Amino acid sequence: MTHAKIVTRLIELLESLVASVENFDQETALVGDAGLESIQVIEYLCEVEDDFDIVIDEEALSYVNTVGDLAETILKINLGKSS
Amino acid sequence: MSLFEKFSQARALEQALMEMPINPTGTIISEVVSASEAIIGGQLKIMAGTNNYLGLTFDADCVAAGQQALLEAGTGTTGSRMANGTYQQHLDLEIEIAEFFDLSHGMVFSTGYSANIGMLTALLNTEDSVLIDSEGHASLFDGCRMSGAKIYRFKHNDPEGLRKRLSRLGEAGKDALIVVEGLYSVRGDCAPLKEYVDVKNEFGSYLMVDEAHSLGLYGENGRGLAEDQGVSDEVDFVVGTFSKSLGSIGGFCVSNHPELSLIRYASRPYIFTASPSPSVIATTRQALKKIKNCPELRQIVWSNAQLLHSGLSKLGFQIGADVSPVIGIPFEDREVALTYWQDLFNKGVYTNLILPPAAPDGGSLIRCSVTAAHSKEQIRVILDAFDAIKNG
Ligand SMILES: Cc1ncc(COP(=O)(O)O)c(C=O)c1O
Repeated sequence: MTHAKIVTRLIELLESLVASVENFDQETALVGDAGLESIQVIEYLCEVEDDFDIVIDEEALSYVNTVGDLAETILKINLGKSS
Repeated sequence: MSLFEKFSQARALEQALMEMPINPTGTIISEVVSASEAIIGGQLKIMAGTNNYLGLTFDADCVAAGQQALLEAGTGTTGSRMANGTYQQHLDLEIEIAEFFDLSHGMVFSTGYSANIGMLTALLNTEDSVLIDSEGHASLFDGCRMSGAKIYRFKHNDPEGLRKRLSRLGEAGKDALIVVEGLYSVRGDCAPLKEYVDVKNEFGSYLMVDEAHSLGLYGENGRGLAEDQGVSDEVDFVVGTFSKSLGSIGGFCVSNHPELSLIRYASRPYIFTASPSPSVIATTRQALKKIKNCPELRQIVWSNAQLLHSGLSKLGFQIGADVSPVIGIPFEDREVALTYWQDLFNKGVYTNLILPPAAPDGGSLIRCSVTAAHSKEQIRVILDAFDAIKNG
């Protein structure tokens, strides 16, 4: 899965969680722009993990601000899985 | 950059709190009247926001035990458990707390916070994986982080979410440590420990349960939620505190794993801090006896819990289904929560105000707790205060 495809899916998941008509893109910050409260971030991340069938550890998440960053992290995890 | 620049947010928060008529994080108790009442701001308040669940802080036997220890062993140990700070009484308490849980080994720490940090940093290193309930106490998260282990959160009280994550971890899931609580301290909801045990057994991982708030309240012998759910034998590590039901201060871990004795050599919060004072050990031991010998205390706190829970439900507050001595009342709007808190305070009822980001669901909460020391009349006053504010 490419970075762009991951971003698309991440945005779909985000839209289903926050009932808003914002235009999200890879620059969208998860806390702030996306309007997620901290509890929702956890919910969102759990959904993302389930959707991609992965687990993301806290360390890796500490570098994540935007949807694009999250896609990058998922890409790395997937590469690690297939290698 | 100045060292203090990073405090700009804290400064803004302090400023906002100072501007309030009463600062909810800065209430000063000028006099403790009893286990359920205190003087704050010159007025008598019913304390409906403590962790004194069994109301033992003024128990005559506990106070006498503390006084006697002060006279016999002095005010403090002035040393760590690994140096001059291990008195016979510390060892006696370790044996008694293990016996109380019907487990083989016990270890006492200076606080519950340091017990959690001390256990987690000793048990885990960078090779390990730990899976933790997303609403776990700060001390549990801090311990996991300080250990360097890989940390995976799962949704609060979600054994299925835990199962999925363990399965995705593959081999790493086998030796992973699962960390949950018993009774959760803010909303007063209970962990599905039986389901967690099933998951743990499926993968062969380890389970740590923090019974800080459930000790003395749940189970036939007051051992906590694991006893209540019939899974005491399946929990690898029970951690907890002496600062709630036992009305004292200190922390502990009990376990059937003989390796607990090795933790003493590896746990920095155990080695590099002074051991609990003799009077603290003495009151804790006495309070433990009370849990064993006075099951009626549990009956009183539960009947008070029932009374408050049904009263608040009848008033239409959106509270959790689990009846427990802790009730978290959620408010979507922080200002409404704040006003409620202040109005309750003005009506003579002290509760805990929990604002974001401390509240588990990102909203605001008023945390109410009852104890065995509350009279039915006091519970009535608490409910009347809620009623007057809501319907007044
Ligand atoms: C779940 C939980 N664990 C640990 C602690 C820490 O206990 P102590 O106050 O003894 O440090 C607390 C208390 O705040 C708690 O609620």
